Amino acid sequence: MSAPDGVSRRDFIKAAVLLPLAPALLAACRRADSRRVVNFFNWSNYIGKDTIPNFSKRTGVEVRQDLFADEEEMFAKLRAGARGYDLIIVGDYLIPRFRSLNLIDPMPPGVLQNLDNLAPRFRHTTFDPDETTVPYLWGTTGIAYNRKTLKTKPTSWRDLWDPKYKDRISMLDNVRDCIAVAMQLLNIKQTTRDPEDFKKIRDLLVQQKPLVKMYSSSSYLNSLVAGEIDLAMTWSGDLFQAARDNPDLDYVLPKEGTYMWVDCLALMRGSHHRKDTLRFIDYLLEPQVAADNANFVRYASPNEKAWPLADPVLRKDPRVYPPKRMMDQLMLHHVLDPEQSEMWSETWADVKVA
Amino acid sequence: MRTLDRAFSWLLSGRRQAASHLLLAPAAAWLLIFLVLPALGLIALSFAKNGAYGEIVWSPGLQNYARAFDAKYIPVLLRTLGFAGGTTILCLLLGYPLAYFLSFQAGRWRNAFIIGLMVPFWTSALVAFYSWMVILGKEGLLNSALLRFGFISAPLGILYTPFSVLLGLVYFYLPFTVLPLYGSLEKVPRGLIEAAYDLGADRRTAFFKVTFPLSLPGVIAGALLTFIPCLGDFLTAEILGGPRFYLLGNLISNQFLMAQDWPFGAALTCLLLFGMVLGLMAYRRWEPDA
Repeated sequence: MSAPDGVSRRDFIKAAVLLPLAPALLAACRRADSRRVVNFFNWSNYIGKDTIPNFSKRTGVEVRQDLFADEEEMFAKLRAGARGYDLIIVGDYLIPRFRSLNLIDPMPPGVLQNLDNLAPRFRHTTFDPDETTVPYLWGTTGIAYNRKTLKTKPTSWRDLWDPKYKDRISMLDNVRDCIAVAMQLLNIKQTTRDPEDFKKIRDLLVQQKPLVKMYSSSSYLNSLVAGEIDLAMTWSGDLFQAARDNPDLDYVLPKEGTYMWVDCLALMRGSHHRKDTLRFIDYLLEPQVAADNANFVRYASPNEKAWPLADPVLRKDPRVYPPKRMMDQLMLHHVLDPEQSEMWSETWADVKVA
Repeated sequence: MRTLDRAFSWLLSGRRQAASHLLLAPAAAWLLIFLVLPALGLIALSFAKNGAYGEIVWSPGLQNYARAFDAKYIPVLLRTLGFAGGTTILCLLLGYPLAYFLSFQAGRWRNAFIIGLMVPFWTSALVAFYSWMVILGKEGLLNSALLRFGFISAPLGILYTPFSVLLGLVYFYLPFTVLPLYGSLEKVPRGLIEAAYDLGADRRTAFFKVTFPLSLPGVIAGALLTFIPCLGDFLTAEILGGPRFYLLGNLISNQFLMAQDWPFGAALTCLLLFGMVLGLMAYRRWEPDA
């Protein structure tokens, strides 16, 4: 700008200051939203087709869904100040992080009538002993493969490192799962904080990289269905949903054992519509609702009362509800402290860069 | 009515500085709030520290910049420069003849061609790239067609290769190259070219001695408008490239979305911006006075 004289500079500043105030004035005039809604931030493909409409029919409360495909991204969005959600889904290992950043409010005690429907294994868990959140669905991380194009059935995480599958492999774009699997293969405990261990983990994952066609947590499912890739690290229910479109897809729990995870419903800090949100959570805990929901999304329900009502095919499927012997092999992710958390993400970032 | 007329003539006459400042105010306010302030925030953030669980700790230091010069990022930088340079060269090679055609030969079809050039540019890049996935995939349109007509016996892996990344980048940035080229070719005085013919130059000589040198500002502007946004592009590599085509843009977006290390992401962004500004300044100094 060329040097303005005193008066015009003041004019300029006045105009510059008044303009941005306009939206604020408009917002002040708008009256508070009084319609009954619950804003739900959920994974994509993660609720039954009729679950929400049935709830709205019964209660008149509208449930608006917003979807995410990666929980680190979801976390980044909430941390960046995304507001307006009432109910969010938080993975077991993320609960301490969400609590320490004050992103969620604990469930008020004694409000949820149906909480006792949950199986004892999912009450007062190690990752959430005070029950600040409510388990929603659970599943495992395993290997997806295409029966038709792969001659031999994969049995081990090692198969994802087999050079003969070059360019046919996809890995989850997820720090927790990839590093945890590398740790399993290297016999390293998740509690480690030894930089040497993380160097080995990095090297193992970098060594695999030339074979990997993509790191992806959602679009790889289309690629599996389309035959672009034949072998993938996957979350159980996602693969079962994809298998509806391509029946040649199958799921294996690797022989080394694997991880189970529990996705939990959590109340967004300071959100409105609290009463209706709790009502919705209580509704999701009803045996029939939980069973229908799990039948649709093909993940396992933590709801004990829902099990007899679940689709018998799913109920008997050891890939969905593993038998006792396999259940005992399933581990939960270790809850990381901040220092470990940083070592994990740094290692993963280094793998992506390499 | 008369007051309104007078207000307009005061505003548009350009004699009063206050009037011209008022004209500037909306855009200036917009840029101030949505560009300058966030950029200042980004610069401040680049000196902060990344706390436990990725919260931001305001204790200023240079640690993020020190980290950015780690040797492990050199391949990413070189790869990014390679893709950006390759895209620029391809765009110029494809774009120059096209711009020449538009300017000298398209005649009454010119506007139709320019609209045709702009249409892909108006669609969202996301939609465009997903369409490319549908075309290039193993069971995609291209492979099915090649298989049906017997050119190949097994589907080609075209997607997630350097080729598909380059294709996506050229596809998206071509209009950025062509429009400045077209603009500068339009400005080449036709009389000068005819004068060259009159003085005995053949078409080739006239082109290389007159038309091309006069279109150089367009070549430079088109190259810059392609090269610079390419340096920060992450969507193309994310969608059309596999894990081995990780570019600077991906590195930065991952700091914000996956690694939860905003200060480091901010430092990388500042370095990239700084590099671009430096490049532009070098160009300005070198540029002959127009």
